[in-house]
Amino acid sequence: MPDAAPSAGNPTAIVRLENVEQFYDRKIRILGPVDLEVRRGEFLSLVGPSGCGKSTLLRLVCGVLRPSRGTIWVGERRLQGVNRQAAMVFQSFALFPWLSVVDNVALGLEARGLSLRERVKRAEKHIDLVGLSGYERALPKELSRGMKQLVGLARALAVGPELLCMDEPFSALDVLSARNMRELVLDLWASPELKTKTILLVTHSIEEAVAMSDRVVVLKANPGRVAESVELGHVPRPRRAGEAAVREEVDRMYTLLA
Amino acid sequence: MDRRLKRSLPIDLGLAGLAGFALLLAFVGSAHLRPFDAPELDPSPLLLPVYTLRSLARLTVAYLAAVLLALATGHLAARSALARRLILPTLDVLQSVPILGFFPAAVGVFIGVFGGSALGVEVAAIFLIFTSMFWNLAFGVYESLITVPEEVKLASAQFGLRGPLRWTRLVLPAVVPSLVYNSILSWANGWYFLLASEIIAAGPARYTLPGLGSYLGEAIGAGRNDQMLLGLGALVLVVVTMHLLVWSPLETWAERFHLDETGDHPRTPRIARLLKRSRIVRSLGRRVLFPLAQQALIVAARLLAMPGRISPLLALAAGLAVLGLAGRGSLALYRLFTERPASEEVLRIPLSLLFSFGRVSLGVLLAVCLAVPLAYLSFRRLRLRQAVLSVLEVLGAIPATAFFPLIAVLMVRLELGMNVGSILLVLTGTFFYVMFNVLSGAAGITKEMNEAAAVLGLRGPRYVARVFVPAILPSLVTGCVTAWGGGWNAIIFSEYVVAGGKLHSVRGIGAMLDQATYVTGDSQVIAASLLSMVALVVLVNRLFWDPLYRYVGARYKIDA
Repeated sequence: MPDAAPSAGNPTAIVRLENVEQFYDRKIRILGPVDLEVRRGEFLSLVGPSGCGKSTLLRLVCGVLRPSRGTIWVGERRLQGVNRQAAMVFQSFALFPWLSVVDNVALGLEARGLSLRERVKRAEKHIDLVGLSGYERALPKELSRGMKQLVGLARALAVGPELLCMDEPFSALDVLSARNMRELVLDLWASPELKTKTILLVTHSIEEAVAMSDRVVVLKANPGRVAESVELGHVPRPRRAGEAAVREEVDRMYTLLA
Repeated sequence: MDRRLKRSLPIDLGLAGLAGFALLLAFVGSAHLRPFDAPELDPSPLLLPVYTLRSLARLTVAYLAAVLLALATGHLAARSALARRLILPTLDVLQSVPILGFFPAAVGVFIGVFGGSALGVEVAAIFLIFTSMFWNLAFGVYESLITVPEEVKLASAQFGLRGPLRWTRLVLPAVVPSLVYNSILSWANGWYFLLASEIIAAGPARYTLPGLGSYLGEAIGAGRNDQMLLGLGALVLVVVTMHLLVWSPLETWAERFHLDETGDHPRTPRIARLLKRSRIVRSLGRRVLFPLAQQALIVAARLLAMPGRISPLLALAAGLAVLGLAGRGSLALYRLFTERPASEEVLRIPLSLLFSFGRVSLGVLLAVCLAVPLAYLSFRRLRLRQAVLSVLEVLGAIPATAFFPLIAVLMVRLELGMNVGSILLVLTGTFFYVMFNVLSGAAGITKEMNEAAAVLGLRGPRYVARVFVPAILPSLVTGCVTAWGGGWNAIIFSEYVVAGGKLHSVRGIGAMLDQATYVTGDSQVIAASLLSMVALVVLVNRLFWDPLYRYVGARYKIDA
């Protein structure tokens, strides 16, 4: 059932998409109409087949894309331009090859007006949080893929966003690195060290979505739109892939998508 | 299919050869065996289409020769280490030689061999145009071949691709993108130096060929502005038409040969899509152009594959030939400077060289200061960027000297001297190289990097400083290196300009070379100027540009 919240400014929603539609070249409909709500403090996943517009939705939420139609609410205000409450982790890491790890991580802090010393201090703290202590001066090309994504994660967290957006962040990693990183993300989410308490994850893996999220929104393609919103709060954490409850939910979701 | 081709090939080649020769004869006219009188160029505007066609024909012949030779040379350098060590430095040095440096060769060899006839002069002009087109094509072929991924090479070896098949399936496809890009550059260069190629001077003798370049040259020299504008109009028309009908479709076609995918792909330009709707264009393409292109490809592949088996021997032979030429050249030079004492002019060379060095460096600097902001403003909007590129292609083809009247007006209005004017003229030889390369570098910034920058709040000046400039640095350096070479090429026409019957000149090596070539005919000055100029350019390349490129490439390159 699609989320319905007709009144503007729902206090429990960090971001709300209202009647959002997206067109390509003004003619081809990629997405919509979509009503979607990201609730404060939840771990929300978007799953769906390719072409369902989940990456587009993520970019709309972050404000790097403007919707062709409809409104995006951030708190009680309309979103205009880049969403300063959000930060993003990319599938292909998107690190800047000429900057060291610490400079990459500190990049977003410069725009927020921190002094050099504060930037470095904060960057180093987050590098430590993701477990890359000692690699501050390394260049991206000297790092493995898993480490690069850790830098991407540290860079996003360093700006202290309320909402962390992740675009298929583990799909370019090997299985072991991906697993370690998933656990790290969940640990950081629960940790009192970070004020980032809401996470929006885009993934094509249903298993991943079920293993990590409080709620999963299933999308359909051609055009992209919300098919179903599945509550998973009742599934106890920590969740193991083989557990009955997890497997049940995964099966249910596959049936939904069929 | 293959056997039929084998039988038809000699006949095809023979027919092509006959057709080419017949064209050349008809083209040159009835006086092809009499000594060439260098008649006055008839400035009638009615003859302009004829002149344009003749220049176009010369450019085409020179271009085809340049492509074939570039394929052979680049391939040889890529395959054999010995050949590489001989070929690359030779190309490097020869490409720094300004076009005037080839006049003695053009006159001595081609005109001399053909007995001073019109045919000889035509071939000499084609040779000169060739020298402005060849080098970047050869380098481009070489670079594309050495960057073919190892796996692709292994696969073709394993599937037994040899000879012509290897050429059509591996070598030519790998080379196509670079070939198309460099062809556009070569043609722009060809047009740029057409003036110099169609008015060949050797001491007192002057050979003027009927063509667009000489038409423009005489117009500028005599100050006939309306004639010049007409000539420029014709030039722009031809360049734009070629861009629409030839280069744009070729660029789109060449996309499928890209061995990697970075940045975003420009879509088919609207004009190309429009043209595709025309039935005439489509059937012409299907029935004439594509079969012709395919046939040409097969013929070229066979020609190029022939020396393949004797490659090491060929390298050795080429190497010996080069050594022999170098030896004879050195001997001739030695005799030149010892048979009579060095003229006073020669002693003025070092200071002149210094002045010119300053002008070219300023030209490169100015080009960077103009190109980077322009590229930044236009790179985000795809349509704007394509428009900018198209305009640049046209402007880049206009010879520097044609800009001179405009620059002269500026000079008079703002009361600047030829010192500033010469730098502006050098700018016409540097700007386009920097601009093209910076635009291409900006296109290499991945979409995700731009999104990351946006999400992190990097906008405006901060984005430019932290993302844009670092990302384009490798391309900027490449642009500067080529602009540096282009600037030195342009210096010939920047320091010594005859316009409106008056001579405008400043102290510099370009002026010295011009004066020696067109006025005094002093071989010592010519030789000494050329040598010192080439030596300086090569030295600066080795000691400055190459290390800079290596450093920047290591740290700033974006590997998507």
